[in-house]
Amino acid sequence: MTAGLNNYLVLSAVLFSIGLYGALSRKNAVVVLMCVEIMLNAANLSLVAFSRFVTPVALSGQTVAIFSITAAAAEVAVGLAVVIALYRQRGTVDVNDINLLKW
Amino acid sequence: MNLDLLRPEICMALTALAAVGADLLFKRKAIVTAVCLAGIAAATGLTFSIMGNAPQIIANRLFSLDDYAIFFKFLFLGLAFIVIVASVDYVNRMKDFHGEFHALLITATLGAMLTASATDIISILLSVELTAISFYALVGFLKNGKTAESSIKYVLLGAINSAVLLYGFSMLFGFTGSTVLSGMERATAAIPSGGAAGGAGLLFGLMLVIAGFGFKIAAVPFHMWAPDVYEGAPTPVTLYLSTASKIAGFAVLTRILVTPFMQPVALARNWGIILAGIAALTMTTGNLLAIPQVNIKRLLSYSSIAQSGYMLVAVAALGMSSSNFLQARSSLLYFILAFAFAELAVFTAIVVMSRNKPADLISDYAGLARRSPLLGVAMTLGLLSLMGLPPLAGFMGKFYVFTQAAQHGLLWLVIIAVVNSVVSAYYYLRIIKTIWTDEPASEEPVSSSLGPRFALAFACLGIAVLGVAPAIITRFSEFGSHMFMP
Amino acid sequence: MLQGYGYVALFLLVSLAFAGVMITLPVLLRKFKVIPYKPSAVKSSTVECGLETTGRSWVQFNPHYYFFALIAVALDVMLVFLLPWALVLAGLGVFALVAAAIFVAILSLGYIYAWRKGVLQWK
Repeated sequence: MTAGLNNYLVLSAVLFSIGLYGALSRKNAVVVLMCVEIMLNAANLSLVAFSRFVTPVALSGQTVAIFSITAAAAEVAVGLAVVIALYRQRGTVDVNDINLLKW
Repeated sequence: MNLDLLRPEICMALTALAAVGADLLFKRKAIVTAVCLAGIAAATGLTFSIMGNAPQIIANRLFSLDDYAIFFKFLFLGLAFIVIVASVDYVNRMKDFHGEFHALLITATLGAMLTASATDIISILLSVELTAISFYALVGFLKNGKTAESSIKYVLLGAINSAVLLYGFSMLFGFTGSTVLSGMERATAAIPSGGAAGGAGLLFGLMLVIAGFGFKIAAVPFHMWAPDVYEGAPTPVTLYLSTASKIAGFAVLTRILVTPFMQPVALARNWGIILAGIAALTMTTGNLLAIPQVNIKRLLSYSSIAQSGYMLVAVAALGMSSSNFLQARSSLLYFILAFAFAELAVFTAIVVMSRNKPADLISDYAGLARRSPLLGVAMTLGLLSLMGLPPLAGFMGKFYVFTQAAQHGLLWLVIIAVVNSVVSAYYYLRIIKTIWTDEPASEEPVSSSLGPRFALAFACLGIAVLGVAPAIITRFSEFGSHMFMP
Repeated sequence: MLQGYGYVALFLLVSLAFAGVMITLPVLLRKFKVIPYKPSAVKSSTVECGLETTGRSWVQFNPHYYFFALIAVALDVMLVFLLPWALVLAGLGVFALVAAAIFVAILSLGYIYAWRKGVLQWK
């Protein structure tokens, strides 16, 4: 038995939902960034799966995935830098404690 | 490949490198500013040299060069120039990282310029990320708890948002079989009209993409970050964020929706109606939440959310107009131009006021007109234009947009928008009253150098010209007539 | 379908059996006096070789590691692009060579920048 497009899409949707749930419910900013990585990789998975099954000759989906890995790396690098800056200023990375600005 | 058509962008990338290099080599801050302004001027010249051609495809369909892209390139270059000029005093006060600040502003501009002409999932993704990442760093630039907090909120929500965007793009790719917008267009053209709206998958992907760009333009269910980020960010960054970032979002959203997804009329109607709903929510929420604010940056962030709502009215009209979309798009571009000038006027005044110490409360602006007539007049003009008072640019923008929406069967939305404009008059007039009639805390005149004064004068001129004589920019040049009177 | 899961189950059984044997084998060998039994304090410590650990292992790392990690990540991502490029380079010609050279040059500029800013010094 080989996995078809549907299997990959379901896996990707499940991963995306897990990542989204984690990103919205976790308190630690670093863990939120890790959950975002799960979401991005879920999207990459569905891109590659679509590319494999819908356009098997052209590698367009794989190319997008490579570039999105780069973008994700840059995003997380800046994200971690901001987390460090926040820790230096406020001594916490708990997203529940960053509440100077509201309403 | 004809990469030479990307001349302005290459020039901007070199300028960013030169700004950092100048900061490493020279001690004087003015050199970095001069390098950046020279780079932007050169890029503007290069943009002139590539305009006027027929639409062209660049780098294997990654980018396209058409009038739409040229319009936004000029707009972003002009905005960057004015922002750098307007924040000279503010930035000189910062102790270090002078070069990085300017380099990040330039890369944000570069990303926005690329966004305007990107026509492939890869190039859209990368240029949007380039803008966003530059802004993440810029928002947290000052060393205090507030900017760090607004930056982390922006980064975390922005990262979640870019994952949603990428997932949406993967759906669009999967259900059309192409990463290029023109390829998607071919796929949607093959869908038989009259039947279903091209399948649930396509609409699902489109909704995720709209959610993704809804974050960038601060449309309502995705607007939560905007007030916090606008308030906490350094004021010049707020100025640039509220104009360039938002306009770039509209540029790419409109391009994605218009080129490939106009075709099964049912599909275009679907996203048109959804955007109309988002527009109604956005302007109502923005205007109602702006009323109780006491912090001026926060108030203006809600006002800018409301303005996004008016722009979304134009985008919704695009969806309802089916094939005849050029006029609706022109009205959107006109509104964007008017909005940019008004934001420039208001926020430049705030930048000037907060160059020595933060002047974030509305009460800090009491009697501003007496302390500095130029600042008072500029802020008043900007606010009145945002409100949409008749002889000014904002009125003409709203007039065009609402006319288009009414023509394409969105009369209910126009009524909501007009009611919203009336509501918004309350809080805009409250600031204007503070500026003109309240007693100032000190009679000390507000000094400003040549740069900010030039920016203010330019913005006021823009507001007046666009409002009093809209025909000037449509008749003045062939290009203008192309963009605004198709 | 079921056959596929059968292989997984077989694999699971073998690995469980292997783990069980590896745990019980020394005990049995010691019982039947095949191997000698001479316990000592050094032998029963957690780490047998190298320096003794000081403090707990759940400590916060020096944030300065972050800068080095960031530079390493930039190199990793460069490889993501250079590997596919290298595989097809023969068929692409001079243009691809120049393009990759520009790409690497921009990244090198980033390193020079980090170096001049003193990021690479351990403080």
